[in-house]
Amino acid sequence: MRIGGHIFMALSALVLAMPIVVVCAAALNGGRSMFFPPRDPTLARFGEFFVSEPVWTNALSNSIIVAFGAATLAILIAWPVAYLLWSTGSKLSKALAGLGSLPFAVPPIVIGVGLGFFWSFTGGLGHIWSGVISHAILLMALPLVTISIGLQSIDRAHLDAAATMGATERIAFRTVVLPQTVPYTISGFFFVLVLSFNEFIVIFFVSASAYSTVTLQIFNSLRNGYTPTMAVAAITFLTVSILVFSAVARWGDLPRLMGADQSKK
Amino acid sequence: MTIADDIDVTAVAPKTPVRGMTLKGVLYGTLSTLMVVFCIVPFLLVIVISFGRKVDGAGWVWAFTFDNYQRFFVGILWPDEVTFLYLQQLGYSFYFAIIASVLAVLTALPFTLLLTRLKRSKQAIWLVFILASLSMSEVFIVMGWDILLSNNSGLPKLFQVSGLTQWLKDVGWFQTLRDIGLANPRNVKFKPSEFATILTMSYLVWPYAVILLYPALSRLDPSLSEAARTMGASRWTVTRTVTLPSIRLPLMGTTLLLFVFLLGSYVSVSVFATPDKQTTAVAIYSNIRGSNLDAPFGSAQAVILLISASICLYFGHLLNSKAEAR
Repeated sequence: MRIGGHIFMALSALVLAMPIVVVCAAALNGGRSMFFPPRDPTLARFGEFFVSEPVWTNALSNSIIVAFGAATLAILIAWPVAYLLWSTGSKLSKALAGLGSLPFAVPPIVIGVGLGFFWSFTGGLGHIWSGVISHAILLMALPLVTISIGLQSIDRAHLDAAATMGATERIAFRTVVLPQTVPYTISGFFFVLVLSFNEFIVIFFVSASAYSTVTLQIFNSLRNGYTPTMAVAAITFLTVSILVFSAVARWGDLPRLMGADQSKK
Repeated sequence: MTIADDIDVTAVAPKTPVRGMTLKGVLYGTLSTLMVVFCIVPFLLVIVISFGRKVDGAGWVWAFTFDNYQRFFVGILWPDEVTFLYLQQLGYSFYFAIIASVLAVLTALPFTLLLTRLKRSKQAIWLVFILASLSMSEVFIVMGWDILLSNNSGLPKLFQVSGLTQWLKDVGWFQTLRDIGLANPRNVKFKPSEFATILTMSYLVWPYAVILLYPALSRLDPSLSEAARTMGASRWTVTRTVTLPSIRLPLMGTTLLLFVFLLGSYVSVSVFATPDKQTTAVAIYSNIRGSNLDAPFGSAQAVILLISASICLYFGHLLNSKAEAR
């Protein structure tokens, strides 16, 4: 059973890694077509993706703008909601948190269509700022969860102690609540960042083909056939994801964020 | 914010709770407005537009007609002529999503169970790997499987070079593969096919399945199954009578969530499914952004998808709260 278990886990990892490895290896192709295993390996595609081909460099900078903007905005909205939920537990705060999670819970194509209509009426369709807001709306459920987990981990005795020693709510917030939730806030930020980078369907509807992010550019190219440059994008995104989640695991408690039992170590 | 600041200047120390209340009031007001505008209005727009009417060659106009829904369920020419094309598309949405989500949960369950028995530090490494693959965009994953399943490179080529194709022909299974559409006369052929669609969709949600099952499984008490084992129950009996019943609800909840997520999946279906097996999500796309330019009908389809998803989510929520109550 032990050996069987290890084999099963290794097999799962293999299948999980297979398509990703294939895409990444395809980036090394020398020619214009994707082959696996790569033919005539070269690193020239990396130059094209990051430096010389405006189609990809534009898409990359759009992706970065949308992802960082959305992550910041999502944190700014999610923080007060999570804080109200934790400090008051009122019905209104629960309703706010529920509404905030709604866009993430429904099939993405529905919220994509809805936001597409919304921006076409408010004049934001095809502007990059509306893409930023749309992703923040879609993904704010994630920091909402991580920040709530962080707030719940605060020992209320600390707050009582602070209050006894004469700290106002504002001071207690700054000296007790904020420092203890920073790792969770950063985790939430990174979750939005990574998912926004990789999100496709919502940005597809709200961009209205006026600009393209990397995922949009790849989807457009799916029809015209693959080029190895697309695979460089995949490598880049994968690297970013692994770095981000490793950082979360290194400086935060990833198993706890994912809901593992605290009593077991 | 300015109101709160003004009060801050004039207020004296004992009145701070009042100031806190106002600040909270402003906060509540702002947040409520934000949520209503961005989380409710888009859905309302979809619902309202679904009652609109398409104008030939000129987009669509506001209206209140049930034509779009009638068209979805029985076709536009009803009662003279009945077509179930759109219902059939919804059926394929369900069909693909159900099989793929069940498959993902069934394979993710033993994996997650094994994962939770590892040391905490090792778990973190696995979680990084799982999360990295979870966040990979649908377009990358479809691209990867597209290369893997393509005829010139990837698995069919591997089948031929390694002699597996010849072996399949020798034992007679090749004909079976041809019958279910997974082979052409010369070699195996994996796409476009239901197999490729379901495989990719299942792959897409597999990391989600692990992440969703992880909390429930990591809270399982190992002493229970150990006790059963000491009392002489076989490993299979323990799994069947102790482990599975205690995670039945999260298991069903996870399957439902994945199912809802897959209902709207677009890229894998549009790339891998044959034209006669396209789903509602693809139809929504082609009505709103694609060639049809029939936003009201696309919205009606989105509403129906939304209703289907809500019903499933509701049951999922019910199961989850039941699970937590125990």
